[in-house]
This record gives sequence, C-alpha cells and structure tokens, in this order.
Amino acid sequence: MTDDLRYVGGSYPVHDVTEKVTGELVYGSDFSVPGMLHAKLVLSPIPHGYVTHIDASRAEALPGVVKVFSHENAPMDGFSRARIHPGQDMSFYDETLFSRHVRFVGDRVAAVVATSRETAAAAAALVEVEYEELPAMLTVDAALAPDAVPIHEDGNLLFEHEIDKGRRPDLEGAVLVSSATSTPRIHHAALEPHVCIAQGHSTGGMTVWTTSQGVYAARTVIAELLRLDYHRVRVIKLPMGGSFGGKTEYIIEPVCAFLALATRRPVKLLLDREECMIATMVRPATSTSIRTACTPDGELLDFEAVSTLDSGGFAASTPDYSIHMCKKVTKLYRVPHYRHAGRAVYTNTPVGGAARGWGAPEMAAATEIHMDRMAARLRLDPVELRLKNMVEPHDIDLVTDLPLGDARVSECLRRGALAFDWAARRARPAGRGRLRRGVGVAAGAHKNGMYGAFPEASRMSLKMNEDGTFQLNASLHDVGCGVVTTMKVIVAEVLGVSPDLIAAGEADTATTPFDYGTYGSRVTYVVGECARRVAEKVKGRLLAAAADLLREPAEHLVAADGAVRVRGATERAIAYRDIARLSEMRHVPSIAASMTYYAVSNPASYSVQFAEVEVDCATGLVAVTDFLAVADVGRAINRGMVEAQYQGAVQMGIGYALYEHLDVDEHGRAGVDGFKNYHIVNAPDMPDVKVLLVEHEGDDGPFGAKSVGEVATVPTAAAVVNAVNHALATELSDLPLTPERIIAALRGEEVPPCSSC
Amino acid sequence: MQLVLTVNGTTYEVEARPTARLLDVLRDQLGLTGTKEGCAEGECGACTVIVDGRAVNSCVMLAVQARGKEILTVEGLARDGELDVLQRKFVEYGAVQCGFCTPGMLMSAKALLMRDPTPSEQDIRIALAGNLCRCTGYTAIVAAVKAASGQESTPQMALPGVPGELAAAAVTDPATLAVACETVESEAGRPLGAPCTPVDGGPTPAGEGSTTSGARSVSEGGE
Repeated sequence: MTDDLRYVGGSYPVHDVTEKVTGELVYGSDFSVPGMLHAKLVLSPIPHGYVTHIDASRAEALPGVVKVFSHENAPMDGFSRARIHPGQDMSFYDETLFSRHVRFVGDRVAAVVATSRETAAAAAALVEVEYEELPAMLTVDAALAPDAVPIHEDGNLLFEHEIDKGRRPDLEGAVLVSSATSTPRIHHAALEPHVCIAQGHSTGGMTVWTTSQGVYAARTVIAELLRLDYHRVRVIKLPMGGSFGGKTEYIIEPVCAFLALATRRPVKLLLDREECMIATMVRPATSTSIRTACTPDGELLDFEAVSTLDSGGFAASTPDYSIHMCKKVTKLYRVPHYRHAGRAVYTNTPVGGAARGWGAPEMAAATEIHMDRMAARLRLDPVELRLKNMVEPHDIDLVTDLPLGDARVSECLRRGALAFDWAARRARPAGRGRLRRGVGVAAGAHKNGMYGAFPEASRMSLKMNEDGTFQLNASLHDVGCGVVTTMKVIVAEVLGVSPDLIAAGEADTATTPFDYGTYGSRVTYVVGECARRVAEKVKGRLLAAAADLLREPAEHLVAADGAVRVRGATERAIAYRDIARLSEMRHVPSIAASMTYYAVSNPASYSVQFAEVEVDCATGLVAVTDFLAVADVGRAINRGMVEAQYQGAVQMGIGYALYEHLDVDEHGRAGVDGFKNYHIVNAPDMPDVKVLLVEHEGDDGPFGAKSVGEVATVPTAAAVVNAVNHALATELSDLPLTPERIIAALRGEEVPPCSSC
Repeated sequence: MQLVLTVNGTTYEVEARPTARLLDVLRDQLGLTGTKEGCAEGECGACTVIVDGRAVNSCVMLAVQARGKEILTVEGLARDGELDVLQRKFVEYGAVQCGFCTPGMLMSAKALLMRDPTPSEQDIRIALAGNLCRCTGYTAIVAAVKAASGQESTPQMALPGVPGELAAAAVTDPATLAVACETVESEAGRPLGAPCTPVDGGPTPAGEGSTTSGARSVSEGGE
C-alpha cells in the first residue's frame, strides 16, 4: 500500500455540506425562474386500454389554466427513456409523451399547465378522460399465457437471451440442489420527488434544469424527440435529494421540455410522492430458479439459472438489466459451466428500470439464498462452502471473459467471519421460545464502469487560476454520495494542495465536457482516474513553468503543500500562486490541461455482509440486531463517506429483505400511495452498521480505488434472509420476509410471492 | 386571510389561502426553501419545523394553526453566520449525503435537545423515528446528535478550511521569488511591479534582487 498519501484516505463531507445544513442549497424542487408555470400530470386510472375521448374544456375554463396537453395535441413519436447516446443498441422506442394506449395505472395521459401548482392540480382533476378497457396482464404468467392480450405490438415477451459458457463436467455422483427466489418491485424512495424545469428561448433553443444522473443522455432524448439541434438544448444538473437509480432515465424531462416549448413559457414539473411511486420507475420484480451441481464436499460443478424480469408497461432499461443479471454469479464463484437464460416481460404494471445495483441485488438474493441451501444439504458451514468456490485475484470472469482484477472477496469473507465471530455465533442455538436468533452471511459482486460493453471514457479539463487555486471542469453529477468531493480529493492529492483549493462544478451541457454521468459504478473508477490523470498533466505543466522561472531542470523540482521546491534545498520554495501570477505575464503555455481517458479494465468490486437477526415468532417481525459489511474497495478515497454510503446501502437492503414491496391489486392499482403504507427503515429499526474496509489498490482506478455505491447494497438482503432462515430453520426465498410470510412459514403454509414473476 | 407569525425571530404579516399549509407559506411566501417537501402526508419528516418548541410536520399543519406562534426553521439555526452545534456536528460526523432530509432531521434533533439536553441513543432514535433518510442508515446522524449533546465519539470528517488562509499557507522565499522575477523581467525588458512583491506582506525580502523589485513595486503601485 502507498502510505505517503496526504489527502486520499481521509474523510471529507459532501462538497455542499454547509449549504445543506443551513438550508440555503437550492435543490431542483426549490428552483424557479421568473414567469414560471406549473404542470400537473393526468395519469391513467386503469391498467390497460385505450383513451377514446378527452374533454379538457372544464379544466381549461379554470382561471389560471394555460392549456391541457395529451396525445391529441402533442408529438406521438416514440422515445426511449433509457438511451444515453444516439444510435444506441438496446433502446426501445416504445413510449410517447402521452399515451393513447395506456399500459398501467399511472401511465401519462395528459398534462395541465397552469399559473400555480394548486391550479394545475385542481384542473387535472377536471380533465375528463374516457377509456375503452382491455384485459389487464398484471403478472408475467398472465402476460405470457397463450391467450394474453398484447401490451405492445410485438407481444409481451419483450426480450430473451441466454448465456452458456464453459463445459459441463461429468455430474456422476454430484449433489444437485434447486431453489426458486423472487424479489419484489420496489420504490427507489429518494426523499426529493422527481422534478424538472424547462424554458424555451426565442432564439429557438431551450434550457432544461433537472435533477438527473446524466445531462448528456437527457439531451439526446429531449433533442431528438423535439427535433432540436443538440447545441440549442442546454441541460443543467441541479442539486438533488437522492436518486438510487430512479433518476437515471429520462421520464419527465422530455415531457417538461415539450410543455415549455408548446406554451412558450418556463414550466416546472414537480411530481408528488404517489406519482414518483407509480408513474416514474421501480426496481423491477424478478424471479430466478437455480439448479446447481456440486461435489459431495461442496465444489461447484455446474450452475444453471433461469430469470424472469417484470418490465411493466414500457421497456425502459429492463432488457439490459435482464442481461446483467447473468453477469453476476461468475464474478463471485468459480464454476466450470454456467448457463443462464433470462427474459424481460411486459405487464400492465409500473415501469421497471435502473435501480442501485442493476440486477446484482436481485441475483445476489437468488444466488446467496441458494448457496445457503446447498450448505444445508451438504452439512457445511455457509462460510466454508463459499470459501471453497470463491474467485481469487486475477481470475477471469467466465461470462464476460474480462479479468476480475484484484478480486479480494475471499479475504473479505475470512476477515469478516473473524470480526463478526461467525463460527461462535452460527453455532449458538436459535432458541425455542418466542424470540429466535440467527446469523447469516452473503457475498455480492458488482462492476466498475461499462468497459467491455461501451466505449467507456471520461473527459475533463483542469486549470490553475491566477492565484494558484484550481478549477476542474467536468460533467459531475452528485446524487448525494460525494462525487464532487471525491474528484477534489483525487486532484488535491496529485497537486499537493488542500481539496478546499479546488473548485469543481456539476454538469451543464453548455459548459462541461461530454460524460455519461453517475451510474454503472463508473464514477470513482473511470471518472476519478480521468481526474487523477488530468491533474498529473497539470502538475507537469506546473513543474515546467516553475522550472522555467527558476531556471532549474524540472526533474530537480517537487510540487507539494502548495509550493514547488528544489529537491535537496527545501528552503527554496515558490508558492503556486507566485508561479501562476508570474507565468501569466509570459508567453508560455497555460498551466492547464484537458484529458480524455478511456477505461482499460472493469474489475469486480465485492462486499461480504454478516447479519444477526431476532425473529419474533408471535408477530413475525424481524429485528436486525447486528450487522457487519466488509468492503473490497481497492482504496478508499474518502474513508468516512465510503463507510457512510455502506451504512445507507445496508439500510436499503434491509428494507428490500423485510419490508418494501410495491404490488398491484387485481385492478392493477398499487397497494401503496405514499410513505404511510410504504415502509422505509427508520432510525429505531436500524442496527449500528459496522464497516470493514479491505484495501489492496491492485486495479486501474485512481490510487487503486474501486466502486462502492452500488455493490454496497448487493448482498444485504440475502444476508438478512439467510439469517432469518438460520433462526427459524426455514428455507424462505420470496422477498420481502413480511410478518405474514414468516408466520405462514412457521405454520407450514405457502404464501405466494408478492411479485408477479 | 391575514396571518401574523414569527419565523426565526422575525414577525411576518402574510396573506394566505385558508387551505395553505404552513409549509406553503414558509416556502412559497417567505422564500424559506430550506424546509423540504418529501411526502405531503407527515410521514417523511423533511418538512419538520419547530412551532412553540415542538417539532411538527409543516406539511400537515395549516398555516392558520401557526397564527401568532413562534416558528423556527433550519434557516434560523445558525446565528450571525455561526453554525448551531447540531449543524456543526452533522458536518463533522458525515451525517449529510443528499441532504434532503437534513433540515428536518436537524429540527427534530433540535426540538429533542431543547427538551432534553442529554438524551440517550434510544431517545435520539425515537425522536428521529419520523424523519426518513434513504442515504445514511442513520448511524452518522445519531452520532452527530449525540455529539451535539456532549456525548462525543470520534468525529470523522476533515472540516473545510478557512477561505484565504488556505491560499496563503504556502509562501515563496524571497531568494526564489527574486530568481523567478528576474526571469520574467529579463524577458519583458522592464521591471515588473506588484507580482514581485510577496502578496502576504510577510517578511521583508532578504535577497538583493528581490529587495530591488519589491521596492520598485511599491513605488510603481500607484500608476
């Protein structure tokens, strides 16, 4: 390990922390422009059918209402909410601004634009819509039945694919184990609702302010749909109150942009909580069946899986999501043969799409619950069974053929088992009374960017200001996890100045260079390495400028602590600000540089997590009483924030395991419409999550850093479920483990899974 | 409908709709957008403010109910630019990520500390039970509130530096400045002015060259 790092590895708050604690930060929902109108959506109350008639006259008669828009007076070109660059594969143009064919309760039918939010909402209730109902395909089974009514032209089987890699060895004498796991549809539950503000300009262009994870992708969707040249569409990222993948795709941005152009006024579209839940995007419900074969002592010989994903009413990113479910197991375990068939299916339910972990938490639940079942059959300890099969550093991923890099998952498991006192706690009796205690473990893997699938690259420029401070120009999208701070720390480390002397802004298509944005676990690993390299370039320029000024060879100079010093004569120092001031007066190159960095690898990040639970057999309630998360992070750039992100990720995973689900009833209506009936884990229910970092810096990220934010939540739910199964000697595998499910299991009853898959 | 209410020590007279919520008046009429709206049904706590010493969800309180009352919002926590101890501890303990729940968390915690200056961890967790956070897992938030009540653990975060002090931290020694100035002056064919005076007004340059350029810069400063 490099131990001479000055700033990397320290702990820093998010860059805008002071404005956040004082309340002065203007989030998207706080943002306004003069003359701004407000829009309110009219959503379909039926799951499937056609709009046959819209009467907006009563709504438009309301004082303050500017206009009502629907399929009758808006473009009906299809768009893909998930597209990130023009001509992208796997983009499904199956959605329009407003639907005539409505495909789920919550589908956009119309929008009212009015002078106030209250007026828009009142008018939306006055828009009269008549529907011709079609039979609703509310489950995957219904959607795939021979007599199913097609939700889209090409049928309800949206996408299917199969991966078959390696060679199946002789399975004579092998132990076969099967399992079936289902994971629920859930709401991302970012605390700030979705919001967008758009304004057309008389020059023909427009500005869109949005709380998005990728402004360039928003631009490609908006510009092409509204037939505008890209250079006339300026998309600016605003401070946002969380995302978790839910603001990765472009759902309200095209609508709001259209409303602004159509009314020639600035328009704000701010959703309410119920709209966020049903009319944006959900983590898709999935089901996975696994059959493994292993030797009697637990060595995996064969792994076969079939997954089904409920896409809901539109494709969004679910086909890609479905593919990625097949790329998780072989990042974690060595197996001679791996086969995985996946499919994504349209149903008349809320749209599935990007969610933290992109298929990994879903697949980790299936895999890790299955591994515990194997361990039980073989009478092996779950840790021991996993250690027999885990990948080791520099293995090749059987599915992607990419090196896994310095994969330290087995070390995470060993160190975690010791720190958690696994062996002793696992051996402790669960108890026979009302309260039963158990411990569970699960491992998870995720990626580091999109290398291998996309031209994964980042671009940025960095300059020294006239006073020796620095300005980083990059398309950063801070969703709340400290991206801006991470970049400042990386640049600070290279340049030898405090991170406070580096300014870095967020993304704006008019002023910051092209970058995909914050998703795909790419930011620290790819964007961060770009920042490190551009800082190295600038440091080279800085040393060259100093060398020239001091008439010393550059190789005799070192840059640290805000000054360039002569090696061996450290009393001779020239402060950066003097280099900057003096160089400004000369005909010499600026102390600035630009950089395009193409990723060169895509190693795996890992997390191994240990949960202790106490199950109340009378109520079916589960309390998570202790939790340890071990993180293979390569190198923590911002230690405190890595730990904090892990703590939050575990909270999300506990909700996934125990509480959260967004089901629809027989009329296609969601059973939830707000936080009153959608339970987010709150402070009294959260254990004190301990985080143990494993740092080896063996890969190509800045200072050896790897991704954190997504992998952190990947194994959590599985660890909790495995702990409950340990406590109750059950084999529960349908998430979430609600009290009803637990009580039913204790009574030996079957309860069907929440999700339709 | 006319309302008189006191917010963060200032008394306001506002004209509000009878159905206006306290949240609407704070955000839309008084421009106090630090108070956030996350659910509009009193479940998430992002809109928490303190009314006459009690934490309330301003999204489920009519503005008229706040008539004549003393209201404290997140904007009123800091005094004369000095952060409240809770705000400071939220920064130091890394209790803020996306920050959208932060104002409400701070106000619930403030109300707790106003009635109980030394709460137990369980008291803190219960006081924050109505404030949802999706980012942090609450660990750092609870630690920050404990620290604000004097029960410090180890604060994690390096605090932002003081503007100006940081930039002045590195100093050029006079001899080196003289060499650098000479390079520029010889190229320019004229003496430099201000750039060759140490900016911090620190120690008088010792080297001959820099004394000269320093003296010149003073004399030419008025041009």
